Amino acid sequence: MMVNNVYIKQLGTISLSIGLVVILFLTSEEQVHRNNAFTRRYPPHPVIKQYELDLGYNSYYIAGLGKDMLYLGNRTSPWHLLQVNLKTKDTSHIELAPRSRKLDYRGIKVEVLPPYFFIMDGTMPFILRGKIGEWLADPWMTEHVYFNKAMPLDSNTIYIRTTHAITHRSALGLIYKKQGPIEVQLDTTLLQMQIDGVFDVDGLLAKDASGAILGYVYYYRNQFFTMDNSLGSLFRQHTIDTVQRAQLTIASKGKSNRTTLAAPPLYINLAAAMSKQFMLVLSHRLGKNESRELLGQASIIDVYDHNKNTYEFSFYLYDIHKHKVREFTVSQNLIIALIDDQLSVYQMSNRYFNTTPSLEMKRQIP
Amino acid sequence: MKGSKNIKIWLPYTVSILCSILFIYAATSKLWDFQQFKVQLGQSPILTAYANWIAWVVPVSEYIIAFLLLLDRYRLIALYVTLGLMTMFTTYIILVLNFSDYIPCSCGGVLENLGWTEHVIFNTLFIIISIMAIVQLESKTMYKPLQS
Repeated sequence: MMVNNVYIKQLGTISLSIGLVVILFLTSEEQVHRNNAFTRRYPPHPVIKQYELDLGYNSYYIAGLGKDMLYLGNRTSPWHLLQVNLKTKDTSHIELAPRSRKLDYRGIKVEVLPPYFFIMDGTMPFILRGKIGEWLADPWMTEHVYFNKAMPLDSNTIYIRTTHAITHRSALGLIYKKQGPIEVQLDTTLLQMQIDGVFDVDGLLAKDASGAILGYVYYYRNQFFTMDNSLGSLFRQHTIDTVQRAQLTIASKGKSNRTTLAAPPLYINLAAAMSKQFMLVLSHRLGKNESRELLGQASIIDVYDHNKNTYEFSFYLYDIHKHKVREFTVSQNLIIALIDDQLSVYQMSNRYFNTTPSLEMKRQIP
Repeated sequence: MKGSKNIKIWLPYTVSILCSILFIYAATSKLWDFQQFKVQLGQSPILTAYANWIAWVVPVSEYIIAFLLLLDRYRLIALYVTLGLMTMFTTYIILVLNFSDYIPCSCGGVLENLGWTEHVIFNTLFIIISIMAIVQLESKTMYKPLQS
């Protein structure tokens, strides 16, 4: 009897301990993922899948758009470019090269903006520019302007994010060339510091098809902003999420003094693209009445109108091979997403993505 | 008979001392580089939301248990807590192994060098010896009222 009692007590202790850890785990999960304070609208079929294209590798990134053309750069093979005809689905492999053979580089990003392509390295730093078709790159910027993100707006202007030399905080700016040397314009007021001004303001550069409207989408807070291509007429907008302040814990790790994130950051916005007055934002955050299972099968894209300062609606892009959307862009009325090693193309319904010209005019840049 | 009587005495003692050494060692190495421990715990995909206070609770309770294990009066209760704590650590490891994309480790000192499977075996070993010690101790206290 007594011995049995002992085993029951031990079994109780063990189950209690297991239960406690499991409960901690589940509630921690819940706190990180779920947020019941916002509700999404899902209209029927705002986008319709057109086709999938096997790219063979998952290391491609979106490098730019031409007429009916999509250009993909490759992270593991930086001088390689893949040209995809979105109509015929024909692909062709392009080998990029600097005209002068000697070039050291660390992290190259290729961006195509017809009739030019740009090869950018913000840590060396350099920017090369060449003609599409010729695929030979000449130096465009040789000055020591460092940057950590860059996006060409036109043949002579590049939208950048860099670290301010004095404050050591991130700042947005433009590199442009009129005649002679490069000119740099920085605006330190655009990115609003909440914690350290580097990690907390991290996010994505965006632009509309014309390069006239620029955007910046924060990763860790429910905010993005748009502005014109001279960093003026700033307009800040909140997303439907409720996380106003970046939830990051920044720690200097161990006895070395390296700064690091002390916890996995809470991503509010993961990817973004602009189309006319719409800002499309990829989010993995669950709103009210959304099932967890769904997030296991699809990515959610929320559509905002930055002219009207409104949230419009949301839609799903379904996973391929259990992989989620890595990045996406908009080309006219197509949404183009990279999912695992596949290119996935969707038709945007005019009914939902119609443009209201009168409102668009309001924020049109003269 | 004599051997089995002896085991009742030395087994709980030995187990208590072993566990005590383990806890003192583990807690000290955690506090030694507390910042590092806290960061690792926070990066853990399981306890993210509670990392801050768990980082304190774990080493402090390890010290308290280690101390109680050495006192005759509290040995039994301390062994139960040891059993519970080791079960919790093991559950945590199993959860990390099965439900997370990447695996951080926040164990101190040499334990950090253990592989995850070895870690589970190591923990299970401690769970087993503490169960054995409790059984012995419980059966001993059972006779106590008769003796006194």
